[in-house]
Amino acid sequence: MARSVTPGAIAALLANPTPDSPLEIPEIVVQVVDLKPIGSSTTRFTFMASDGAMKIKAMLPTHLASEINSGKLQNLGLIRIIDYTCNAIPNQPEKALIVTKCEVVSPSLETEIKSEVKEERSQSDVKKEEYKSEVKKEESSILLMPKQEIVAKSAAQIVNEQRGNAAPAARLAMTKRIHPLVSLNPYQGNWTIKVRVTNKGNLRTYKNARGEGQVFNVELTDEDGTQIQATMFNEAAKKFYPKFELGKVYYISKGSLRIANKQFKTVQNDYEMTLNENAIVEEAEGEVSIPETKFNFVKIDQLGSYVNGRELVDVIGVVQNVSPTLSIRRKSNNETIPKRDITIADDSNKTVTVSLWNDLATNIGQELLDMVDTAPIVAIKSLKVGDFQGVSLSTLTKSTVLINPDLPEAKKLKSWYDSEGKGASMASVGSDIVSSSRTGLRSMYSDRVFLSQITNDPSLGQDKPVFFSISVYISLIKADQTMWYRACTTCNKKVTEAVGGGYWCEGCQKNDDQCSLRYIMVIKVSDPTGEAWLSVFNEQAEKIIGCTADELDRIKTEEGDEKYQLKLKEATWVPHLFRVSVSQTEYMNEKRQRITVRAQAPLDCSAESRYLLEEIAKMSIS
Amino acid sequence: MDTSSPAVFVNGEILKMYLGRRVRAVVQVMRNEGGVIIGQSTDGYQLTIKGAQSLPLSHFVEVIGVADGNQSIRAEICTDFGDNFDTVSYNGLCQLANGKFKNLFL
Repeated sequence: MARSVTPGAIAALLANPTPDSPLEIPEIVVQVVDLKPIGSSTTRFTFMASDGAMKIKAMLPTHLASEINSGKLQNLGLIRIIDYTCNAIPNQPEKALIVTKCEVVSPSLETEIKSEVKEERSQSDVKKEEYKSEVKKEESSILLMPKQEIVAKSAAQIVNEQRGNAAPAARLAMTKRIHPLVSLNPYQGNWTIKVRVTNKGNLRTYKNARGEGQVFNVELTDEDGTQIQATMFNEAAKKFYPKFELGKVYYISKGSLRIANKQFKTVQNDYEMTLNENAIVEEAEGEVSIPETKFNFVKIDQLGSYVNGRELVDVIGVVQNVSPTLSIRRKSNNETIPKRDITIADDSNKTVTVSLWNDLATNIGQELLDMVDTAPIVAIKSLKVGDFQGVSLSTLTKSTVLINPDLPEAKKLKSWYDSEGKGASMASVGSDIVSSSRTGLRSMYSDRVFLSQITNDPSLGQDKPVFFSISVYISLIKADQTMWYRACTTCNKKVTEAVGGGYWCEGCQKNDDQCSLRYIMVIKVSDPTGEAWLSVFNEQAEKIIGCTADELDRIKTEEGDEKYQLKLKEATWVPHLFRVSVSQTEYMNEKRQRITVRAQAPLDCSAESRYLLEEIAKMSIS
Repeated sequence: MDTSSPAVFVNGEILKMYLGRRVRAVVQVMRNEGGVIIGQSTDGYQLTIKGAQSLPLSHFVEVIGVADGNQSIRAEICTDFGDNFDTVSYNGLCQLANGKFKNLFL
């Protein structure tokens, strides 16, 4: 194990900025100096790589961040560089070292290694001879190049210079250096990636303050399984939309990268890619080295926890039933869309209904209907989980459906179905969740928490709202809060008082003499662990107060303040079961927790007692 | 409030552990026999409640009195709980109140 840096290491790295293979790289050990994160990221780090005499700015890609966070790779420690690239930084004379693969050789040495040699050596003084004598070579000789002009060359240009007039296909196959998706970053522009399109979005038109435009995006997966989303706008969108085909493999270069917008992220990658008209996209012939769509199946009986969440799921099951095509009319624009429902079952012995929309309903749906007697296996990716009839799955434009796929899970399901599944009578997973009573009492027992569990965790609901059930007593409804808003009688949106009398609804674009009052209030609740403030909307507030907002307003104005306050008092210290969503909001630069009531059910003492007995029993076991 | 002799929550099985003590139990009325109620305890035992007035059949009644036999109670107070009662929860309560959490009740 090396105990110190390789002298002349930096010079060696600079002399061969883009080694074609890791075998070419000699034994290079450098010291990590000035290790620090980039901005506030916990996954991207920069440091100075030092060989005792020279230093070069260096970067570590995100997949090596775990080495730093775990404490293996430390500042002032030593690392052996296994694979790297040197790139020119725009507007700066120096190059930067991108370490794509390295090995931790030593933890912190406590001090910076400084050799006796003068430190005024600039990069331009790199000498061929010095380099040759000092650097050990493991494999065959390295292609040495004298000091290079720092000119950004496109992959096409370099390839051209090196191979002259070789046929394009041959040129690509032989000389393109493929960068793994994981090594891409915004500071390195000369890359080429080889990826399969694992998802293709639709070409959408949008309108914003700057005008109209077109956009579409694709999900790209490379050999290692890393995924990244690529977006194209306007001209590029029009150019590449017909070019990209789902499932095909392409070489892509000259795209640009930027940090991904967490809100819209659909794949696991810190970055997202944009391709403009100058990007290069070439189809790779006869390529099978990249794996097909990656699925992450959820068993049907586990779907309950995804209901109404934003996370999309993948499922695989045996098709038991296919409905005829229905035409659903879209409320917003009166468009009719085809829909088909299929029922699938899996070896968790539960069934679920999947709604197929648009093309999936007409094409795949028909295929499945024709072969339903053969009990085909269907694998579906990217489904939304809804709460219709307890649990329901719905396809989106990005959903993909494979019939009888060649996957190990499909084989397993087939053999399960042939042996037991066929004859088994299975219940719908939704029926566990929906109770016979209209208030959906059963769901009040899933994700049950105490108030302290919500209030003690301020980070809940940071990305998307989290749902819980709570059993609480109302402890306070403030009489002097704004309890309601004036609403349009048609669409329930807020109306404003019109100048000439009456009320104006922005949504319906009409004036109306009448308006209704709808509740919007906060109430304080208590349970054995603490208290919390909940936001409540009209439907649930009506059940809590026991009358409509219009009625309560009437009591306040006609019967007097005392009667009004009495009505509120009567609602106090009443127990309720609530389904709430918890999200994080910012108010005056402060992060606040907002708990909103989504559903209400009266406390059923019998069901609650049984639930408590179960919980007490669980306490005894743990 | 007189807490000198708290009534123990019992079902059919636990009743025999508290002979001579003040107990309380909820039974479902099966028969009325002139001053005596034959009722079913929450764990399915048949109990005889002496000194109780007639109550509607299949109603649930809470009896507070003294246990004077393995399967009988001499009633002091009887309360009609109506016909909607969760025997499973009550039974669970009896078991916990005499088991793990006895110190909370007696």
